[in-house]
Amino acid sequence: MNKTASIILTIALVIGLGIIFVGSSKSNDNKNAVLSQGIQNSVIKDGVQYITINAKSGYFPKVSTAQAGIPTKLIVKTDGTYDCSASLAIHSIRYQKILPQTGETEIDIGPQKVGETLQGVCGMGMFSFQIKFS
Amino acid sequence: MKTYTFHVSGTHCASCKILIEDILNEQIGIQNTHVDLKNEIVSVETELDNSKHELAELLTEKIKHNGYTLSVEKITKEDKNNGVIWQAIPIGLAFLVLFFILQKSGILNLGIGGTATPATSFIIGLIASVSSCLAIVGGLVLSLSATVSQDNISDKKNFLLFHIGRLVSFAILGGVLGLIGNAIGISFTFTAILGITASAVMILLGLNLVGIFAKNKIALSPAIFNFFRKIEHKTLTPLIIGFGTFFLPCGFTQSMQVAALSSGSFMSGLLIMSAFALGTLPMLALLSFGSMSFAHSKHAPLFFKSAGIVVIGLGLFALLAGLAGLGIINPLFSI
Repeated sequence: MNKTASIILTIALVIGLGIIFVGSSKSNDNKNAVLSQGIQNSVIKDGVQYITINAKSGYFPKVSTAQAGIPTKLIVKTDGTYDCSASLAIHSIRYQKILPQTGETEIDIGPQKVGETLQGVCGMGMFSFQIKFS
Repeated sequence: MKTYTFHVSGTHCASCKILIEDILNEQIGIQNTHVDLKNEIVSVETELDNSKHELAELLTEKIKHNGYTLSVEKITKEDKNNGVIWQAIPIGLAFLVLFFILQKSGILNLGIGGTATPATSFIIGLIASVSSCLAIVGGLVLSLSATVSQDNISDKKNFLLFHIGRLVSFAILGGVLGLIGNAIGISFTFTAILGITASAVMILLGLNLVGIFAKNKIALSPAIFNFFRKIEHKTLTPLIIGFGTFFLPCGFTQSMQVAALSSGSFMSGLLIMSAFALGTLPMLALLSFGSMSFAHSKHAPLFFKSAGIVVIGLGLFALLAGLAGLGIINPLFSI
């Protein structure tokens, strides 16, 4: 193989990798924007805010917004989840748990301040979600 | 008694020094072999009357199957090597692109519901072996296999021991988890740190395979050489590494561990974990025995360099993801 061809190919492949890593999150954001507008993932019941996150091959919605200043609980739903998203860590509240394969896990995160962002990652770190409080 | 010095090529590893010295000293009429890795020179004392050229051929014959060549003139292979790396970079990157496209595609998100039975565990194992877990477990297997093959030390035996160690420890630990039930949880931080260590090892081995370190090979003392050679020869080492893969961070492995925990008995835990390990076996066996057969073919230099690129890529991915998992850095990407 000649060196120039190989350099061109290398650059093309690096761009390809870039698209996979960076471009992907953009399309996810678009999808999530639609999701968060269409589907409300937080409800307030008896003064407690419940935020629902689906965990399977990633967390959905990846970015969501919720109300600050009221008691808040996170409900993480798993449905035949065997991948990394089943092992959930939320570092700001020192929460680490391997979720059941199928079921709902309730996590009490307490009232959050305005402007704060709660971030959850999976054990291996390749999936994450954010909840913005306002 | 005459002393000859030859140029040697193919000395890619620290233990090469000892290997060449051992083999040559075993030859009749050859004594006091000394290998200078830094300058790639071998000196021998001999009682034989052959000419220097004949001797070079004769001795090359003995170490040729290990990938070394002795010559009177210094072989300039700089150009050839550079050519190989230019082929290896696109090949390695192409594999990385394919791997991450596979992860993005969502093909692997098969819905497997219900309780974990040995049959579903086996299928989950098959999926896990091509999932993002491959980045860390497979990357480690590939880097170790390629490195062991490069050093050419009874690789087949080592690979078999690795896979046996993996299967047996998954079975036994699965059984133990089933027996003790919910009494223990496998620590998040522990697996994450182990994963980061594994990715650091991968990056180092990868750089080594690509040949970054070839230019500045450090001449370590013989004591350290001997120590490494001992480790490489130890039957236990591949068994222990196989055992260690149980604790490597992999969502699938962790889910199966939880399934084994809640299975309630030694036998069911054992069956779940061994079925899972069996499911991951085809892919991992392909990686280790595949690298062995490539390592012995004429494409060996290309294979080692391409494998090095793949391993560095996977190692970086696993390292960044692992740091994010520990909460040290923000997640940079999402697959």
